[in-house]
Amino acid sequence: MKAKKVLVSAAAGVGLGTLLLPGAALAETIVSPATTPVGGTVVLTATTCNPKSGDAIFRVTGPDRDINVRSTTAAAGGGLSAELFTAGFTLGTYTVTATCGDGSAAGTATFTVTPIGGAPAGGRDAGGGAGSLAAGIALLSSAAGGAVILARRKRHAAMAAAAR
Amino acid sequence: MSRNRPSWAARIVALLGAAGLGLVTSVVAAPPAPPRPAGAPVGARPAPALPPLPRAEPVTVRAPAIGLDAPLVPVGADARGRLEVPSLDRPAIAGWYRHGPSPGEHGNAVLVGHVDTTAGPAVFFDLGRLRAGDTVRVERADGRVAAFAVDGVTAYPKDRFPSDLVYGPNPAAGLRLITCGGRFDPDRRSYVDNVVVFATRVA
Repeated sequence: MKAKKVLVSAAAGVGLGTLLLPGAALAETIVSPATTPVGGTVVLTATTCNPKSGDAIFRVTGPDRDINVRSTTAAAGGGLSAELFTAGFTLGTYTVTATCGDGSAAGTATFTVTPIGGAPAGGRDAGGGAGSLAAGIALLSSAAGGAVILARRKRHAAMAAAAR
Repeated sequence: MSRNRPSWAARIVALLGAAGLGLVTSVVAAPPAPPRPAGAPVGARPAPALPPLPRAEPVTVRAPAIGLDAPLVPVGADARGRLEVPSLDRPAIAGWYRHGPSPGEHGNAVLVGHVDTTAGPAVFFDLGRLRAGDTVRVERADGRVAAFAVDGVTAYPKDRFPSDLVYGPNPAAGLRLITCGGRFDPDRRSYVDNVVVFATRVA
């Protein structure tokens, strides 16, 4: 009976400790948005880094990058943030690994750089029709002009023949 | 007698007129419009517990319900950052977006193809006729075949393209097929929408 009491107390103590211990918070890095068209901006946030410990470093690795980005602002919800511009990035998925100013790991996250907008997948976009239309109108105009000239000539010839 | 015959000048005028009329008619005559998607809400089906396939280039895509059977080539993005589409000279070929997952890997594999050309329907003309439950099979260079079931088909205005749903993360193996659709805007010489097929791997 006594042993059972001790066991229950120990379990309750561990549970309470887990809830209350600040250091037990999970290290987390967030990238928002998780998908951006190339040239867009993403915000990197290490939610568990204490600004008083110094800047966080975000290591960004992917298809053509291995760069470190230093945090520039304290995040509104806690932690540290940096903005990352993706102009010139190769399309694909990138991994962000954050380290707090005190050297502690602050988790990882991924984001994807995508093409811009939808797909130009209609063949009529090519503009070949515009050229054909212009050529057709030009030919019709020439034909109409020629027909008018021929009709005038014919009329003049008929008038000259009648005058004789 | 010779007066009743049309002169060489009249013949040339007639020839010019016929050629011009032919060209104008060929452009103005409305080509067949691509089928519209059913517009049913897209809900990803619960993905069966399948181990992901390793990365391998896809080589063909088949969708028996619409008679689609097309070779695939890798594509990326053009200089403006827009998704590349295979050359219009080869309208029966579709593209696989090589910066994303391959079909069968976790994540969304993206295939893209033209809906039409100036000569008529192209490889993805009938995508809008696909319905939820239809099968799409992708044969890969490693000899494996990834089979997908269609979750839904939806048209989106090009300026509100759902990049997250198409390229974003997916814990399962997804497939996205993209083409043009909706109304053709003659001023911009472009379709106003993109048609997107959403599918999940089932075998």
